[in-house]
Amino acid sequence: MKITINNQPLEVQEGLTIMEACNAVGIHVPCLCYLKDVSHNASCGVCVVEVKNAKSLLRSCITQVTDGMDITTNSQRVMEARRVNIELMLANHPQECLGCDRNQNCELQEITFDLGIHERPFVRTKKEYSPKDESSLSLVRDPEKCILCGRCVAVCREVQGVKAIDFAWRGLKSRISTYMDLGMGIVACTNCGQCALVCPTGAITEKSAIGDVWKALNDPEKVVLVQTAPAIRVGIGEAMGMPYGSLVTGQMVAGLRRLGFSKVFDTNFAADLTIIEEGNELINRIKNGGILPMITSCSPGWIKFIEHFYPKSLAHLSTCKSPQQMFGAVAKTYYAEKTGIDPRNIVVVSIMPCTAKKFEARRPEMDGAYHYWKDKLKLTNEDHFYDVDAVLTTRELARMFREIGIDFTHLPAEQFDNPLGESTGAAVIFGTTGGVMEAALRTAYEVFTGKTLTDINFTSVRGLSGIREAEVDLDDKKIKVAVVHTLKNAGILLEQIENGTSPYTFIEVMTCPGGCLGGGGQPIPTNTEIRLKRAESIYYEDAHKGIRKSHENPEILTLYKDFLKEPLGEKSHHLLHTKYIWRGY
Amino acid sequence: MKPHEFEILKQQFQERILPAVPMIFVGMGTCGIGNGADVIFNRLEARISETKSPYLLKQTGCFGFCAQEPLVTLYQPGKPLLVYCRVNEKDAIHLVDALTKGRIYNKKILCRIDEWDFRESQVHFGKGYAEIPHWDEIPFFKGQKKIVLRHAGLIDPEDIRDYFAVGGYRALKKTLEMQQEDVVSEILASKLRGRGGAGFPTGIKWSIMQKAEDDQKYIICNADEGDPGAYMNRNEIESDPHMLIEGMIIGAYAMGATEGIAYVRAEYPLAVKRLKKAIEQATEWGLLGENILDSGFNFNLYVVEGAGAFVCGEETALIASIEGKAGRPMPRPPYPAAKGLYGKPTNINNVETWCNVPVIIEKGSEWFRQTGTEKSSGTKVFSLVGKIKNTGLVELPLGSTLEHFIFNIGEGTGTTKRVKAVQTGGPSGGCIPLEYFSTPVDYESLAGIGAIMGSGGMVVMDQDNCMVDVARYFLEFNSAESCGKCTPCREGLSQALAILTRITKGQGTFADLERLELLGRTIKDTSICALGQTAPNPILTTMKYFRKEYEEHIREKRCHAGVCDTLYMALCENSCPMHMNIPAYIELIKEDRLDEAFEVTLRDNPLPGTIGRICHFHCQMRCRREQLDEPVSQGEIHRYLADTIYKLGKENEIYNRLIKEKLKPTGRKIAIVGAGPAGLTAAYYLVRLGHEVTVYEALHEAGGVLRFGIPQYRLPKSVLQKEVQFIRKLGVKFLFNQRLGQNFSFETLIDKYDAVYLAIGAWKDIDPYIPGEKAKGVFAGTEILKELALGKMPKLGERVVIIGGGNVAIDAARSLWRLGKDVAVVYRREKGDMPANVAEIFEAEAEKINYHFLAAPHEILTDARGKVKALKVEVMSGGSIDTSGRRRPVSTGKFEEIPCDSVVLAIGERVDSAHLSQHGLAATKDGRLIVDPFTFLTSVTKIYAGGDSVTGPSTAAEAMGMARKAAESIDLALMNENRFHMLFRKFEYKNLVPQNPKVSPKNRSAKLTVKERIGNFQEVECGYTGEQARNEVNRCLRCDVRC
Repeated sequence: MKITINNQPLEVQEGLTIMEACNAVGIHVPCLCYLKDVSHNASCGVCVVEVKNAKSLLRSCITQVTDGMDITTNSQRVMEARRVNIELMLANHPQECLGCDRNQNCELQEITFDLGIHERPFVRTKKEYSPKDESSLSLVRDPEKCILCGRCVAVCREVQGVKAIDFAWRGLKSRISTYMDLGMGIVACTNCGQCALVCPTGAITEKSAIGDVWKALNDPEKVVLVQTAPAIRVGIGEAMGMPYGSLVTGQMVAGLRRLGFSKVFDTNFAADLTIIEEGNELINRIKNGGILPMITSCSPGWIKFIEHFYPKSLAHLSTCKSPQQMFGAVAKTYYAEKTGIDPRNIVVVSIMPCTAKKFEARRPEMDGAYHYWKDKLKLTNEDHFYDVDAVLTTRELARMFREIGIDFTHLPAEQFDNPLGESTGAAVIFGTTGGVMEAALRTAYEVFTGKTLTDINFTSVRGLSGIREAEVDLDDKKIKVAVVHTLKNAGILLEQIENGTSPYTFIEVMTCPGGCLGGGGQPIPTNTEIRLKRAESIYYEDAHKGIRKSHENPEILTLYKDFLKEPLGEKSHHLLHTKYIWRGY
Repeated sequence: MKPHEFEILKQQFQERILPAVPMIFVGMGTCGIGNGADVIFNRLEARISETKSPYLLKQTGCFGFCAQEPLVTLYQPGKPLLVYCRVNEKDAIHLVDALTKGRIYNKKILCRIDEWDFRESQVHFGKGYAEIPHWDEIPFFKGQKKIVLRHAGLIDPEDIRDYFAVGGYRALKKTLEMQQEDVVSEILASKLRGRGGAGFPTGIKWSIMQKAEDDQKYIICNADEGDPGAYMNRNEIESDPHMLIEGMIIGAYAMGATEGIAYVRAEYPLAVKRLKKAIEQATEWGLLGENILDSGFNFNLYVVEGAGAFVCGEETALIASIEGKAGRPMPRPPYPAAKGLYGKPTNINNVETWCNVPVIIEKGSEWFRQTGTEKSSGTKVFSLVGKIKNTGLVELPLGSTLEHFIFNIGEGTGTTKRVKAVQTGGPSGGCIPLEYFSTPVDYESLAGIGAIMGSGGMVVMDQDNCMVDVARYFLEFNSAESCGKCTPCREGLSQALAILTRITKGQGTFADLERLELLGRTIKDTSICALGQTAPNPILTTMKYFRKEYEEHIREKRCHAGVCDTLYMALCENSCPMHMNIPAYIELIKEDRLDEAFEVTLRDNPLPGTIGRICHFHCQMRCRREQLDEPVSQGEIHRYLADTIYKLGKENEIYNRLIKEKLKPTGRKIAIVGAGPAGLTAAYYLVRLGHEVTVYEALHEAGGVLRFGIPQYRLPKSVLQKEVQFIRKLGVKFLFNQRLGQNFSFETLIDKYDAVYLAIGAWKDIDPYIPGEKAKGVFAGTEILKELALGKMPKLGERVVIIGGGNVAIDAARSLWRLGKDVAVVYRREKGDMPANVAEIFEAEAEKINYHFLAAPHEILTDARGKVKALKVEVMSGGSIDTSGRRRPVSTGKFEEIPCDSVVLAIGERVDSAHLSQHGLAATKDGRLIVDPFTFLTSVTKIYAGGDSVTGPSTAAEAMGMARKAAESIDLALMNENRFHMLFRKFEYKNLVPQNPKVSPKNRSAKLTVKERIGNFQEVECGYTGEQARNEVNRCLRCDVRC
């Protein structure tokens, strides 16, 4: 259809919104509440444009173009309305940019700058100050910084299906809140952090562990070990100013050494370990008539989700701890023994793309190493330690790099330390949706059938569509597997399970869209295009790894030989497996 | 049921409307019950049973006349209905007892109803009682057309049989025999538009919905009426719920919906109860539920109570609320007709829209279109509230003017206060000023002047309403009721409210006004839903029509209406045009500090003894004491103070103090033209500021109207002379017998002076345009008074008729009476409408001066020699209220002659500025000089003007108040610094509020007896004694003291 934008005639396809049509011809219409694939709340009033013969200005984010539409995006009326709406938001927004986590990465700040707003013509009208919600172990909400765009509500409701937060009150008292104002740490929030990822301002951020980590690093008594999740290497570069999806494994390792970590290890090592345990658990369940389908358990947001909403299905979860927790347990037992370091002096820091990991690390049962040593070292309650001491998100790591002035792009590529730094291609793909499934299948197939895979790429489980399935031929037995990301999609498969109609034997669930590479702790922005770029880098690293199957990781084999003895063995049971509880709706 | 069965039902239940025995019905809407109707009902019931009378008693809805609640109606077979108003318990007993004795209780009868057009059923009650006005003859009902309210107050809303009896549900039966499309076409053809406010054509809405295909469709009745002051929908449901139900079933059938929801405000418990009961009854009779009237059509109706949010009246928010979500609007499209309740096609109409449906089907669209205008057909129900005499529900054809609503139906304020504006459309409507009251009430016309029709609230405001505060009030409501979803509405309204609040506290700036406009524009232009899009209307319309009030708040830090309480000291001070510090002199007298009290008044007012006698006493019009008994006599106290100081000879001491503290000579020369109250006041202040002031006066003495207009018996010459003398003593130079344009030129003023203040007054009599006005023996009122003031005897005859109702007329009448003339005053309106001071009218009456009210001069009749022999007047009758708040005199065609030998014309004066306009001074058509409202500068540099020459004839105090402000403005312009405050000083006094004040009427000073007044011009009012003055000051409540 034919339309006109700023007096220029154009031909556009039907069904586009005005904003999309404008973008297509290179006019960026500013917006704050709209976010592609997430929200179309149409509340901020910034993306308005003038359409000839329309009574009022129209919101370009939700208005579809019609034939002959005459659109103006730069008239005095439009510019004035946009400016006033931003000025109005700023009136009740704290002017604390300098101290804000989102300084220089804030959409409100950017639009304010772009629209040339230099003054604050309106004064604060809100009478009360809303306190921060710091009840969660993962996230902090600061309603003062909130501009009520509703993206967090939309992502929580529409993408994740969790509905932990919503609008409350009305008029100027409107704010985003939780059920009965109880706080995110108390209500059924999964800590996935997608809200923080879509927030245009600093109203929702991760609960920072930077201070704790600096404290440990500066403590001469402590041996501070760091593990990095598979998705960090494709995210941290972005946060340091590099192109989207930059693969920077070596620079990341170098940077971590510059920060002062004693050893730089890889969560990928633990991912390989997880595959051995989980693969064997699956085979065991198939062979011995265990509860099927079995569902992966490495995504802590997902774990909390099922613990809240589908308690009847908890037995379907794999009992394996997540790689982060397996790493912590192994580091403080196997590695401590091997190096003779007192486990009380070992500090395990994880770099995760995930805010839920902060919660996971504080689950009461995540102290396997403490119990391992309790009798041997006659540990008292005061000596208690967790397997993982501190969890940093990708964004926090970038802040630490900046803090000490690391010129990330010029760092040399360095190697992980051993023995907990060795990993396979199977482990790295844990960072993307479908990766755990693919890694598990590589191992399970070979262990189950005793044959070697001819093609180890299970491409049918790759990609970003919501629910993907595949059929795998295990010799005499054909099994159906499924991969889902986002909790809303996970809910669909759980409904099937609870209805008794699930056709699957094994299901991988990742909390966040795109898996860990789109995690709530990843750099902002994170959107579909960026997710695809990060996934591309992950598969690149997998393809270029010497070893691509977990059960071929030599360090893992050594670990079993020297310490664990056998998969699903007694030590594994205590250190690598866990249990789940119902948390109430 | 078959069609004829409905006819049978109607016949069967006819006795419910026309029973064989007397029937009493009590209006028991929420409004009636609020006024005690339930108590009356119980009392009637008890009395009927005590007396074992056979009378029937029933409850009905509300007949609409809220100001007259409780309403009780009496039916006697063969007689008209009698509607009783303001019925109390005693009346109830008398009513029954009278009936038992075969009589009629003849008190408190409002009107009679001979017959009633139930639209679907004409009913004749009976004939008789010709002396009682028929219902449509009394102002409130005259011209109303009851289509929606046709059953309200006449049938029992809780009994479906009453509804059958007036032909109810026949339209439904008819509908079920029609094709769905035909029903929609009928509505389309009726041009019915949404009565919720937006005015979208109902037929179009229906046809979109009808075409939507889905397995489930819903219809919704929007009864979430949330506008402050609007209660039409409540009454429609409470009085006639079945009409709504019938309308909805018809709509459901036409649009193919099987489920309906009435979303009723939870704050309307009685409406909810009656509607639920009606739904039960309709279900029992097979009118709701499965297979309605054997048509195969199924429809269920439910009531959902609202969530208490104004925004839930917005359709998408309303849908969200029904679904159990927070009431937040969604952007449209998709419209509810495509995706509404639970994602299904949904049609939402307002209560009143639904209520119009049955009658349209019954009588046809053509019949319906005959009422209203081309674009807006039918009637609309409005709730008329606020500063209005006849509050109530008014149903008028669309297109009736606002004037009709407010003055004909509502009869104005019902007080001496004048109507200022009306707010239509609730908090998001607009404030329409009196000048626009000729606007017809329809969707387009109201939108054209920045207001909206809205759901039908009409809030009338009078002169005591501050329009800035009105805007602030509505903004406060809108801001609190904003759902908070979109930025412009949530944030913008709070900012606008903050600005308005600032302005009402005197902290506003002119930049704030620009910001308000900017906010208003942006909020209107970028809000998602109608709440935000219309919420700025109160600001935008008040800024457009009452901008001067905003400017006064910002520039003068004053709220003339006396509402914004940080901007005035006390209401008396605020109402005084000179803003005299009344509480200060009252308190100082209380503390026996008379000298200081006098000094306070003198600094505010150079003519205290004069004004203390002849003022209009604006101060008393807003005195809070009035709520207890009577206003404090601030003026009498004022006069007492001046008289006492003069009597004691203490004034010179104070005069000398003021002379001593005159500011240093500035070397600036100022000319003042006119030595009337305005000229004297300006001279007084300007000379004290150190300027060289020369006053040019056309006559041989100073005082203007005070000297040459007001008779001696009101203001003795000696008092005025003493006060003028003081002004002279201050150094003002007076040049007498100097008439502008005759004895000195305008050029002289421009050449010789740094500033000129024109205070030339309004002396020219308005030409009456009546035949015979040039006859011998016709005089001008002002001329008569001037001659008397000069001590001359006007050459009048013995029988004088004075035409007019103002002070000049009364002054002339009383003066001539003193000279032994036979005097009559002819006035075309009624006594209460006379503009003269009430006390003067009263005294003239005491002096036995003949008044001829409602007499319009028609012709001055002369004898053969051309001498006056009589005044022919037309006898008038009081018609409807006009925009001045008074009854319009209406010709009766009857004439009378009043024999006389002289006629005095005193119908008003105007300004003679013809020669000034030659010098470039801009003036209005009627000759008033145009000045800047704050600086008083005319269109010519350094020429200022004030007093009657700017305002037209007004009071001395108003002229002096303006002159005081003009003096400040002139000084500021000449000296470029604010020095005016240096003329005042602060007095310390106690600030104690009287505890438990007791009722005590005001002190009345002694007067000459009427006998004593004959043949002389001795002052009539003797003034307070010391004791009276002390008692009177103690009546002051000291409302200037704030916590």
